[in-house]
Amino acid sequence: MIEVKDLVKAYSDATVVDIRALHVAPGETVGLVGNNGAGKTTLFRMLLDLVRPTTGVVTSKDIPVAHTDAWKHYTGSHLDEGFLIDYLTPEEYFKFIGDLHGLSAGDIQERLQPFHDLFNGEILRQRKYIRDFSKGNQKKVGIAAAALSHPELLILDEPFANLDPSSQIRLKNLLRSLHEQFGMTMLISSHDLSHVTEVCDRIVILEKGKIVQDMQTTEGTLQALEAYFTV
Amino acid sequence: MFGTLLSLQAKQARRSPAYQKSLVVNIILGFFIVYFALIFIALGVFGDKILAEFYPDQSPVVSFNSFLLFYFLIDLVSRFMLQDLPVLAIQPFLHLPLKRNKLVHFVLLRSIPSVFNLLMLLVFVPFMIRSVVPVHGIGIALVWLASLLLLTFINNFILIYFKRQLTSNPKLTLLLALLVGGLMLLDYLQLLSLRQASTVAFGALLQQPWLVLVPLLGMVGVYLLNYRFLINHLYPEEIYIKKVSAVEGSDMAFLNKFGDTGKLIALELKLIWRHKRPKSMVMISAFLLFYGLIFYTNKVYLEGWGMLIFVGIFVTGSPMFNYGQFVPAWQSAHFDALLTRPISMNQYVKAKYLMFVPSILLVTFLTLPYAFFGTKVLLINLASCVFNIGVNSLVVLYFAALNKERLDLSNGSAFNWQGVGASKFVMMLPMVLGPVAIFLPFSIMDIPQWGIFAIAFTGALGIAFHRQLLQMLAKRLEDRKYTLAAGFRQH
Repeated sequence: MIEVKDLVKAYSDATVVDIRALHVAPGETVGLVGNNGAGKTTLFRMLLDLVRPTTGVVTSKDIPVAHTDAWKHYTGSHLDEGFLIDYLTPEEYFKFIGDLHGLSAGDIQERLQPFHDLFNGEILRQRKYIRDFSKGNQKKVGIAAAALSHPELLILDEPFANLDPSSQIRLKNLLRSLHEQFGMTMLISSHDLSHVTEVCDRIVILEKGKIVQDMQTTEGTLQALEAYFTV
Repeated sequence: MFGTLLSLQAKQARRSPAYQKSLVVNIILGFFIVYFALIFIALGVFGDKILAEFYPDQSPVVSFNSFLLFYFLIDLVSRFMLQDLPVLAIQPFLHLPLKRNKLVHFVLLRSIPSVFNLLMLLVFVPFMIRSVVPVHGIGIALVWLASLLLLTFINNFILIYFKRQLTSNPKLTLLLALLVGGLMLLDYLQLLSLRQASTVAFGALLQQPWLVLVPLLGMVGVYLLNYRFLINHLYPEEIYIKKVSAVEGSDMAFLNKFGDTGKLIALELKLIWRHKRPKSMVMISAFLLFYGLIFYTNKVYLEGWGMLIFVGIFVTGSPMFNYGQFVPAWQSAHFDALLTRPISMNQYVKAKYLMFVPSILLVTFLTLPYAFFGTKVLLINLASCVFNIGVNSLVVLYFAALNKERLDLSNGSAFNWQGVGASKFVMMLPMVLGPVAIFLPFSIMDIPQWGIFAIAFTGALGIAFHRQLLQMLAKRLEDRKYTLAAGFRQH
């Protein structure tokens, strides 16, 4: 699905991302962990062609993502509030995204159905613009919009941050069921080690822009991660 | 404590991104400021001569006084449209051991040193020195000036009070504007002369200086009104006007006919309507429609051509210039969203173009009555319309892509320099000088009509090749998108 080769992003004074190779197979769920400044968000931005790599290429389905549009049709993403059009109501926003993917009003409603629990009655029919929602609810809107088109590839940056405990658990189940139902490939970064090991079957640890560990999730993964991050 | 608050305020101003501009922008802004300041000072210095010319049978001071009431009414209306509430950055102090009443006084006094309150001093002071002092002496002249200042402050505090109560209600502003317009009409028809009243009131002030107490008491009154209101509502959610009213999502069905491009346009129209800055920009554009009157009523300009071309380009293109200069920065808050969704740059650029064209057509239609000043004006404006559609709309898009500063949409657009870069000024040059340059050779050959046709023809060429030109612009935007996105992400 995603192939990263010799990807480097360097600013004048620092190298933020330096990845020799990363291969994500279709249907894989990859969790990205690492402390602040490890380069997770920059890596995601390069996967989404939002940041120009200093060197190296990202290909999605064998087509370089830079300056192409093909990947946009099967990739859903939510990194931060910059991905929301915050002066729309959630309904208008879902409609706009749905229209771009050729979904009918009925399709949109049906696809939002699984989000019903996560939304907890606080998102739809609130007669508010997205900008007036709390951070947590904005995040829910963003995640739902990213998954709306049932994309083959879903990229989420810290989806569990700002969510209340119940919502975190609901989101976890939701992501797992999306993966099972549609075989979505997922790339998820998180600071919550237990959530990310539960959702993903592969964990990649980034440190100072480099991949330092890449492992399949097993029984002992959580302990291994905790040991790694204990200083 | 006041000193500490003031120094914090100064730091806030100095460190705000709006002030940290490039040298070029500062120089150009400085030039504009000096230019307008000189105009105002000149008005004050030569005010007596100008007034004596128009009203030879009364003294300049009397004529000046007669306009003052109208001036203050207009001042109030324009404040309703343009002035923003003083930024109430007191939230971080509310939980600290500071006296509440001091905070309130600080907020209120903070509002006095603003452009709106002090600009007219540039006119009043020279006029006072030239005209009032020789007749009435320095003491009375100062009292006269003081009462003008007090009236200005009264307007300032009235605005703060009402804007906080009613938020910025466009209907109220319109009503107020109509009221003032009506008073002017009554005055013109000599049914009810506000100017007479103004003359009497300010004349009395000059005779009996103690009358300055009237505006003084008035100002104390409105100040206390504000103070009472604020001290009772010193909660962030009550001070900050953030009305979260119930909103209905809307669907602009007719735009769906234009496919994805139509949806982008609908999105942009919602952006304009749901943010303060673009909305106030639209209102300012509506006022700029009357810009032509300044020139068309002057014989000197009406006989020439060059100035009329400038006016034609400006009048028929003002909404496009005003709005277009911040494409794509208007969408800086969600630029990443647009880039990761299946929207091609071609569609994006086309949507902008298709927004510009109707705006130019609409404005041209609205300014058709200018034909009253002669078919020449009509001809020039129509040619300008074609030129704006064919050439200037693309020029705006070309230069706008240079702008990579995040735009804050929540403040009004008047005197708002946030996000204004040097490219704004550079882009005005080809847009205005271009048509004049096309016109010039024909003017030298003494066939100015052909020059106008040449301008229209150039515009028509631009329209004929707009597809190819838009594609080039899309390509350019595609190349610059990383720079733009990175700039827009910086708060």
